[in-house]
Amino acid sequence: MTDLTRDAIQTRLQACTSKEATFKELVSLSKQLERLTDADKTEENRVKGCESAVWLIEHQDNGVCTFQADSDAKLMRGVLMVILSLVNGHSKAELQQRDLVAELSQFNLSSYLTSSRTNGVLSVLKKVQN
Amino acid sequence: MAFDANTLRAQFPILQLEANDHPLVYLDNAATTQKPQAVLDALMAYYTTSNANVHRGAHYLSDRATAQFEHARDRVARFINAADSNHVIWTKGTTEAINLVAYGLEWCLKPDDEILITSLEHHANLVPWQQLAFRTGARLRVLPLTSKGEWEPEYERYFNDHTRIFACTQISNAIGVKTPIKEMLAAAKAVKAFTLVDGAQAVAHYPVDVQDLDCDFYVFSGHKMYGPTGIGVLYGKPHALEVLTPVQTGGEMVRHVTYNSTEFNVLPYRLEAGTPNIEGVIGMTAACDFLANQDRTAMIEWEQKLARYVYDELKFNTSIEIYSPATDTTVVSLSVPGIHTLDLNGYLDSQGVAVRAGSHCAHPLMAQLGVSSTLRASFACYNTLSEARRFCDVLIEAIEILGDD
Ligand SMILES: Cc1ncc(COP(=O)(O)O)c(C=O)c1O
Repeated sequence: MTDLTRDAIQTRLQACTSKEATFKELVSLSKQLERLTDADKTEENRVKGCESAVWLIEHQDNGVCTFQADSDAKLMRGVLMVILSLVNGHSKAELQQRDLVAELSQFNLSSYLTSSRTNGVLSVLKKVQN
Repeated sequence: MAFDANTLRAQFPILQLEANDHPLVYLDNAATTQKPQAVLDALMAYYTTSNANVHRGAHYLSDRATAQFEHARDRVARFINAADSNHVIWTKGTTEAINLVAYGLEWCLKPDDEILITSLEHHANLVPWQQLAFRTGARLRVLPLTSKGEWEPEYERYFNDHTRIFACTQISNAIGVKTPIKEMLAAAKAVKAFTLVDGAQAVAHYPVDVQDLDCDFYVFSGHKMYGPTGIGVLYGKPHALEVLTPVQTGGEMVRHVTYNSTEFNVLPYRLEAGTPNIEGVIGMTAACDFLANQDRTAMIEWEQKLARYVYDELKFNTSIEIYSPATDTTVVSLSVPGIHTLDLNGYLDSQGVAVRAGSHCAHPLMAQLGVSSTLRASFACYNTLSEARRFCDVLIEAIEILGDD
């Protein structure tokens, strides 16, 4: 669903030295997120506990998980791009063993992940691991 | 007394900060105001010269602390023109004050009784009443006010023989509109309902006169009027405070205790169980003095002028919807259809501009407006015209950056 690898995204975000640069990078990342159709934005696919509306869909193929995600907020879509680059193409068992919060914290996003938005991101990560 | 925001700013150390490499532009004053040096000094002075528990007496520091504590009660009583300082109960804020009333009046409700609020309430003046209704079988009714705070004659029917309690905000926190509080209070009194006014958004801006309002209860928070966090006020008429069942019991609020019985203390202590927030209370003296030292008329005119400036700058921008009134407000609440308010907020924050994006603890009002959230810029006395201009400029930039697909 995306050509951007985790490493490429990490390099881009780590190069940001101001909040404005991070903001613009997230907006730019958000444009590469494949959007969900309205039909997929169901209550069931909705991730609870996010300030913006967030949906997450999981597909499994031969034990390999692929996720699709969307939000009505751009910054959140940028963050979802980061999360998908971390979690797509792995098995459930592997995802459950990883410390995704710690991995995400290496992306220089701390100020975007604080406060109430953290809870939203945590809910996404929890849903990925469930 | 001349009013000059730039001079006033010097009293607020925090306003010198930079935020995200830009000068801080603090426009989230409806959430909480910053504190003048005099309030900070009062807190420090309390701990360096007077710290002791109050009302337990018998030594030098305790006498000092108690004197300052009770002086603050007098000061706040004068600030809201209460007839007597015993009508002022300390709470930790507006929310606790409303809950004290909602629990304290539970005894007087039965099924078929009605609790009336308006459609402009903060959750703090909605959920406690809704839960009270659930507990007692009473009905929660909502008087529909328009987003312009308009009051229609037909609303009189909401006040009827079943109305036991009427609770209403003086100013909406989400959109900054004033409610027709006096007309509504008159209608509530005509049916002999208890009346509570949520003054959380009023105290920092308008002189308050609880005797003129003639409500049974008036509640507000210190932190929204340049005072400390964690301190608030429940004002009540004596007969109204007298009939409140104490929700919290324990030390300080009692006169005599045996294993079989407790004799409660007199007001105001009866409703103030436990060691109070002494530093917060003492800080309230400084906050009231700070406001009293200003030319209040010039101050509110200035705050309204800033909101009006933003309103006028943005009103012809076709991508922006404004929910606040054009005049008589210190708030501009808006949305940009197609762009999430959290994204706008993210860009404003990256430029050092602090506003609030969200539902402002008013989900039903957001539904009435047909949005899930708004972006709210709220002004205080220390804000400047160049800050108002900066908010507009950065907002327009944000729309350009975010609105390209
Ligand atoms: C109108 C109104 N009522 C009640 C509250 C709750 O105040 P506090 O959180 O200080 O208890 C607020 C605060 O946002 C408010 O604006």
